[in-house]
Amino acid sequence: MEKLLTLWYGSGVYNLTPGQAVMILVGMLLLYLAIAKKFEPLLLVPIGFGGILANIPEAGLALSALDQAIEVAKPAVLQQLATALGVTLDPLANAEAWRESLKGVAHDGAAPDALRAARDIAVGVGYGDGMLYSFYKVAIASGIAPLIIFMGVGAMTDFGPLLANPRTLFLGAAAQFGIFATLFGAVGLSSLGVMDFSLNQAAAIGIIGGADGPTSIYVSSVLAPELLGAIAVAAYAYMALVPLIQPPIMKLLTSKREREITMTQLRPVSKREKIAFPIAILLLVAFFLPDAAPLLGMFCFGNLMRECGVVERLSDTAQNALINIVTIILGLSVGSKLMAESFLAVETLGILALGIVAFGIGTAAGVLMAKLMNAVSRIPINPLIGSAGVSAVPMAARVSNKVGLEANPHNFLLMHAMGPNVAGVIGSAVAAGVMIKYLG
Amino acid sequence: MQDMQLLEEGLSLMALGMGFVFVFLTLLVIVTTLMSKIIGRFFPEPVAPPVPARGRGAAPQDDDVMVAISAAVHHYRRRHRR
Repeated sequence: MEKLLTLWYGSGVYNLTPGQAVMILVGMLLLYLAIAKKFEPLLLVPIGFGGILANIPEAGLALSALDQAIEVAKPAVLQQLATALGVTLDPLANAEAWRESLKGVAHDGAAPDALRAARDIAVGVGYGDGMLYSFYKVAIASGIAPLIIFMGVGAMTDFGPLLANPRTLFLGAAAQFGIFATLFGAVGLSSLGVMDFSLNQAAAIGIIGGADGPTSIYVSSVLAPELLGAIAVAAYAYMALVPLIQPPIMKLLTSKREREITMTQLRPVSKREKIAFPIAILLLVAFFLPDAAPLLGMFCFGNLMRECGVVERLSDTAQNALINIVTIILGLSVGSKLMAESFLAVETLGILALGIVAFGIGTAAGVLMAKLMNAVSRIPINPLIGSAGVSAVPMAARVSNKVGLEANPHNFLLMHAMGPNVAGVIGSAVAAGVMIKYLG
Repeated sequence: MQDMQLLEEGLSLMALGMGFVFVFLTLLVIVTTLMSKIIGRFFPEPVAPPVPARGRGAAPQDDDVMVAISAAVHHYRRRHRR
């Protein structure tokens, strides 16, 4: 009978907290959106599944060795940990209360030495880092996974349309207004007392408006790791929603006549220009914004491998095998941040709301900038390509093309929109660099 | 007062960030244009017989091809609507 009870006390059903149950449902929802609705399935499948794994009771897949020990160890071990952390445990309270107070101390306020000692005790009695925790530490906390993905994106990017019409870089710059407006919105919300975001957190939320998954993950891993789960989910969910979010804004801000504008054929771009371009970006970054060097450096490296034509094999690996491997690990690591304690908070709702605002403002700013450029330049510019300035390659460019075709069935804007689209990638990486410089 | 300070910092980060993004990309526009000019002037692609121009390279026949394609598309559309 006692054995049976032990089994029951160790079972998931007995230990499941309401928060974990909700998070498992959230994970399932993400899986549903990815599988049935085709929302960025390449990322949401691993993220959703990682989220479920992270919330399996007792398994502690997303916990460090110390957290796991605190969570499940016997009272004797808890006492050892308490001595190491310098906490006095109330002998009258039960083990649950001990766990709570230890958790509180371990997460803020313990000296690094004490933490290390406690960790050693936990490892000594046989607890190890959870699988997802290790993934997170290797892939995201080090910043490596988003950077490798960025290299792959660089290797997939064709700068031809941008080089043929460099002025579209302005559209990529204008669309970054979404990032900064949202940052200001988040700061405003916390000064009104609605939410409680620090400036770092506000910056990490704003970057959702850059519509660039790896950049969002990179910035939030540097500035606000505690919000990473919500930010990554919001970024990828809204990137999938680009075809729904953007067209109403684009139509609202343009007249039918403007949407019908046909653009002049792009000039052919020589191979040498394409080879020199990533090096030119890299030099500019090196001179003016070294903080964007990790992101843009990897991006340019990927692009150079693609364009130089002598390392086909490396370029092929960067844009296929490597990016796929890293995506799996990145997705699971992001999923590990979908733990009930951190995700089920009012802040998450705030992030989701602010994220969509960021997208909307970015789109609007891009379109308005394109209208301005059309007004002042001799060469006609269709304002619809402005919305492609939010990165989301190539979805945003396709949306511009589609809305353009609705107005004029013979007007193909896709190649024209690819210019601002890749400019948006550069723009959001620059914005990320500025934020990290200012706040990091 | 704390709140005002946060708000002010947010505002200054917004102005600074947006300003910098524009300055950086403006520089990039200038550098790119210059680079294209220099490469076009001093290092043009060798005009060997097999011109490696991808996709849009076939400029001279563009008009003919466009006419043909438009006609075909038009025809297709008309037939498929009925």
